[in-house]
Amino acid sequence: MLNYSLKRLASAIPTLLILITVAFFLIRIAPGGPFDSEKGLPAEIEANLEAKYQLDDPLVIQYFRYLGDIARFDFGPSFHYRDWTVNQLIAQGAPVSFTLGGIALILAFVVGTLIGVWAALKQNSLSDYLTMSVAMIGISIPNFVAAPLLILLFAIALGWLPAGGWDGSIQRMVLPAIALSLPMIAYVARITRGSMIEVLHSSFIRTARAKGMPEHEVLLRHALKPALLPVISYLGPAAAAILTGSVVIERIFTIPGIGSHFVQGALNRDYTLVMGVVIFYGVLIIALNYLVDLLYAWLDPRIRYDR
Amino acid sequence: MDAALPTNPQPAALRGPILRSVRTLVGALLMIGCALGNAGEIHRGLGPSPDTIDIHRAQGLSAFNLLRDLHEGLLTRDAAGKPVAGIAREWTISDDGRSWTFELDRQARWSDGSAITADDFERGFARALKPETASPTAGWLEPIEAVEVLDRRRLEIRLKRRVPWFDELLTLPVTFPWPADGQALSSGPFRLVDRVPGARFELEKNPHYREADAVAADAIVWHVTEDPSAELARFRAGELHITESVPPGRHDWLKRELGDSLRVAPYLGSFYLVYNLGRPPFAGNPELREALSLAIDRDIIVERVLGTGELPAWRLVPPGLEGWPDTPPPEANIPRAARIERARELLEAAGYADKSLTIELRFNSSLAHRRLSAAVAAMWKQHLGISTTLVNEEWKVFVTNRRHGRITEIVRGGWIADWADPGNFLANFHSGSRLNYAFLRDDRFDRLLQRAERADGRERTRLLWQAEERLLERNAIVPLYYYVSRHLVAPEISGYEDNPMDIHLSRWLSL
Repeated sequence: MLNYSLKRLASAIPTLLILITVAFFLIRIAPGGPFDSEKGLPAEIEANLEAKYQLDDPLVIQYFRYLGDIARFDFGPSFHYRDWTVNQLIAQGAPVSFTLGGIALILAFVVGTLIGVWAALKQNSLSDYLTMSVAMIGISIPNFVAAPLLILLFAIALGWLPAGGWDGSIQRMVLPAIALSLPMIAYVARITRGSMIEVLHSSFIRTARAKGMPEHEVLLRHALKPALLPVISYLGPAAAAILTGSVVIERIFTIPGIGSHFVQGALNRDYTLVMGVVIFYGVLIIALNYLVDLLYAWLDPRIRYDR
Repeated sequence: MDAALPTNPQPAALRGPILRSVRTLVGALLMIGCALGNAGEIHRGLGPSPDTIDIHRAQGLSAFNLLRDLHEGLLTRDAAGKPVAGIAREWTISDDGRSWTFELDRQARWSDGSAITADDFERGFARALKPETASPTAGWLEPIEAVEVLDRRRLEIRLKRRVPWFDELLTLPVTFPWPADGQALSSGPFRLVDRVPGARFELEKNPHYREADAVAADAIVWHVTEDPSAELARFRAGELHITESVPPGRHDWLKRELGDSLRVAPYLGSFYLVYNLGRPPFAGNPELREALSLAIDRDIIVERVLGTGELPAWRLVPPGLEGWPDTPPPEANIPRAARIERARELLEAAGYADKSLTIELRFNSSLAHRRLSAAVAAMWKQHLGISTTLVNEEWKVFVTNRRHGRITEIVRGGWIADWADPGNFLANFHSGSRLNYAFLRDDRFDRLLQRAERADGRERTRLLWQAEERLLERNAIVPLYYYVSRHLVAPEISGYEDNPMDIHLSRWLSL
């Protein structure tokens, strides 16, 4: 197990390096620069700014200097939010995004699993079909459609919840968290249902039942753990879905998280901010996938012995 | 939710007694511990996040709106957007108009209680002009020859020439005072309490402000609103008192739904298309340029495509400037059919009568621009048989391409007045201007602008008018419409006045 986890960890470093390199050069290739604006800047001021931010050096030198900086966890000053460094912006945005993403993730897994198990137990009944149809709709509706609908209903028509903004209060988290988790709830429900049905038809469950084990014990002690395996493996993609989803959700609900920094950073050609967020996202996804792999190996012994 | 916040427009279906009680119950549960605002706290939409709140480094409308609450210059703006006495209580102008002497208000204080002196202003100008400051707006100080501190409370500014809009300039952040130790102090009606990048700026009343008693609001929260639709939702949910913008289109629906909260007013801004005169097919082809301009029906554009009260434009400088003649050019009065007939003749003269021609219209991505460009392209196709490729570009790509002019043919242009003066619009087409996207090189136009710079009063107006005539004669641009400002203002806000500069200092507002 230790050997396996170390091997997985070692592969993360080149992945991250490739990510950094590609992102660094891609954002620089994009036309337009951080200081282009409607009115533009006089040439001498632009030159001043470029010198200040060391943009006047050859790109390759800038690249290696950047690698050196990030090795010291210094992501540099933001080009757009000139009163802030990227470290400050991420430190300020990450807790917001984590809170939102965490709530959405928990919501998705708890609610999704419950629905999935329930549908599996009622397999091929009307309620099964109904839940799964709703789940299918949930998957199909993108969250940039669901979010405004939620705002329209709960913030504008009913006035129960705020339409946007963020101050750390529960009220402001409810709508964005639901909007973010909706497609995932549906996805988790479908996965759980499928694997649960498969497990319930397997021979070891038949054996357990034949021994006269009570049904709830069959479900909780024997069926649930193997049935959750595919759901666990969805954790990695789900985290990615949360990240990409939060980019949209944070904009719609005007939430000052990493996602909105990412979008605005790209639009503003805020090179350092975009890089900071890319690296942050990259580390996060790699870490989560690593965690999933370990979890998977722990849940299914075949995986750790195979390697 | 606090009573001070805007009331929430309710669809009729939700007013039933059962629903109402359910709503109250759930609402009460959710609102426990949640205070959106206090009495005297005004929530305003800011628009895009400002890059900095440094008075010398900031640029853009959103930064300026915020800075005008935090700081004050020698002059400031009243509720109607007109320049009025600020930190300078009074001032005198020499006969030649080149020397302005200001007497500072004795009550003027920084937010820590220390006095604002003439030295603070001199320090501000000096910092703005330092190369290390890299101020994007320092160019505006070009007419200033020298700034001299006469004594603690008196300041003299000498100009290189008479500048009729100098009072307007003194309301801009780049002219504001700078504290001795460079601390983050406020000279204005409010001071900064907290800020969250990309989210909000929280301001409270500055107790040391010279007219603190006259400031009604206790606190202002400026919310960053990048997306107009999200801003609209927050206004409708009662979370904003004033919005920075209103989503394009849907004017009738908004009017019906929000009634008097929708404030549309003339705005000193002009929207036009710009020909690239440095490249084919428009270089050396004035007939084609004029033909394209004549073939666009401005009335259809403002009524059907925009539909929010904009005025059709045939000239660059918008109406409403003091002393500026309000005469439309002859084209405006020709009947539509005759205009199109003339456009066809010009096209023939340009040699495109039986040749097919495809031109390119480039604009930055936005729903409003896309709709407008499609309408313009349709008119060119219908009346002149010219095909148009619409090129929709992301903002930074667009401004870069427009500035370089290496691949552009026709680009979206537009200008919002920095100060209320026709010269501010016309200067962009001077051959030396870096904002000259038309790449117009016209000696006569340049000379008229230069002569206007030295002239005064009516003579100056006359020269600027001639310069505008020349610009139109050269067919460098296609004026389409004059802007309107569009905001949502909650009914409980008082002190908000529509004005052509669209400047609304929070100090005039109350709940």
